[in-house]
Amino acid sequence: MDDDYATSSVDADREMTRLWRTWRTVFEMLLDRGYEVTEDEVQMPLAVFKEKYSDPLGYPDRNKMKISARPTEAMQAKYTPLPSKSNPTPQPDCGTIYVEFCPDATAVGTKQVRTFNHLVDENNYHTGVFITQTPISPSAVRLLSSMPGRICEHFQEQDLLVNITRHELVPKHVLLSPDEKARLLERYRLKESQLPRIQVSDPVARYLGLRRGQVVKIIRRSETAGRYASYRWVI
Amino acid sequence: MSSGRPILKTSLPSIHAASASMGPSKSATPRQAPPNAQGSQQQTASLPNRPIADPRHVAIALHHAHQIQAQKDTETLILDRILELVTFPSAPSADPASPSPEDARAFKHALVPFQPTDYDNLILERNIEGLCGYGLCPREHRKEDAKGTYRITWGAKGSGPGGRGRDMNIIPKEKLEMWCSDECAERAMYIRVQLAEEPVWERRADEARGKQFLLLEEGRAAQGQSNMRSSATVKEVVGQLGNLQMGEAQSSSDMADDIGRLSVRDDTRSRELALERGDSHPALYTGRVGIHVQENDNAHGPVTAPQMRPGDEKGGSIEGYVPHDQ
Repeated sequence: MDDDYATSSVDADREMTRLWRTWRTVFEMLLDRGYEVTEDEVQMPLAVFKEKYSDPLGYPDRNKMKISARPTEAMQAKYTPLPSKSNPTPQPDCGTIYVEFCPDATAVGTKQVRTFNHLVDENNYHTGVFITQTPISPSAVRLLSSMPGRICEHFQEQDLLVNITRHELVPKHVLLSPDEKARLLERYRLKESQLPRIQVSDPVARYLGLRRGQVVKIIRRSETAGRYASYRWVI
Repeated sequence: MSSGRPILKTSLPSIHAASASMGPSKSATPRQAPPNAQGSQQQTASLPNRPIADPRHVAIALHHAHQIQAQKDTETLILDRILELVTFPSAPSADPASPSPEDARAFKHALVPFQPTDYDNLILERNIEGLCGYGLCPREHRKEDAKGTYRITWGAKGSGPGGRGRDMNIIPKEKLEMWCSDECAERAMYIRVQLAEEPVWERRADEARGKQFLLLEEGRAAQGQSNMRSSATVKEVVGQLGNLQMGEAQSSSDMADDIGRLSVRDDTRSRELALERGDSHPALYTGRVGIHVQENDNAHGPVTAPQMRPGDEKGGSIEGYVPHDQ
């Protein structure tokens, strides 16, 4: 057997496995955010993934790896703002999400981000998630976040290797709907600015795709009380 | 305690009489009236339970909002300029040492709002595209094949310590890979040091720095000229010194004139000052605090010295009370 071939196949295998874990985390993320994904997609075994998304050499083919998912009813309810006088029948502020893996192995700049932005805009996706292998340049970050009317997020593949919310030290984060938020504020007689805060750039906030102004409920285990809930205002 | 006694603090008996007859209970009613009247006005003007906004406060809030919006606009402008400069120069055969005048002008114009960090972003962006970091160079940047994070570069002969040997530098590989050649690195850095450090919205209008750039070649040419001139103009310098002394003699006589021209409220000067402070909005021309000088009218008529009145030799009255003789 060719020695060269053997090393390259081991390399390809390793990359494939890493990408499979990222892929799985992405689906868990979509599920946790409340998008419609099937159990089969989340639990896809490595063998199936390899068969589906590898090129003839055994390396992953990222061009094939594109995901789009629609929000569930529950998620739409959660993202519907409270009716007000000027807007008696509010529409949910969420929609189809689109996930793309960037095939470029070297540094990613404005060019790739621009094509991604264009694609998201053209197909009228509400949210776009851009996943790269390397960090992207500062101007590319600015370009990605400056899409008017749409939300574009960026992750690195290595950030999603492990699902951080499944770690035992990370408490459960639950997003509150506008109605629940209003009731919370009324019950404790608070203004939202009096709540403790969580940053949008917080890893869990990024994972859940939280937006400024939302309130998240954090449920921890407590030795004395069993469960302990605290609330954070996303800034 | 206050019910029986007059509440006004004055020594004039006529006022005491009037307030005593009215009684303290009635004196409270006129106070409540104005808010009610105001409230009815508010409902017509704006939302209820909200005080009418002072137009001055609104103007200041708007001024700051416009400032923040201008900052955001500038940031997007810089981003656009970076995207524009990534695919520079227009011709693929352009020579970085002698760029075409249009390209050079466009390049300099595009760099005006840049800070050094924005310029670094531009270099990074160009490198990602595979181009040399210098904006006027169409070539590809260097790619070092060998592994290892650092490179050793040797200077020209005689550049070492004491003018002997060669100068040696250890440079990270990424820095070396930014450019196509050392000349381009020098050209790009020559531009970078001319950029203004502060963001464009904090710059003064009359500041020359960060507005006019010299390319390395132009800078070298200008330096050559100035060197020639400085050696030849000893006479000129002496002549200028003479001018200076004459100017001084003149200035002392003009001093009184200058002081005469100086006034507290000089409109053009205060406008200049506002520009310098960044308060260029018309709502702030008069300063951030409203000052209303109100002159009292009762100062009319010539002022005379006090005259003796009957009873003053004993000390007179104290607020209407005349002490008894002992």
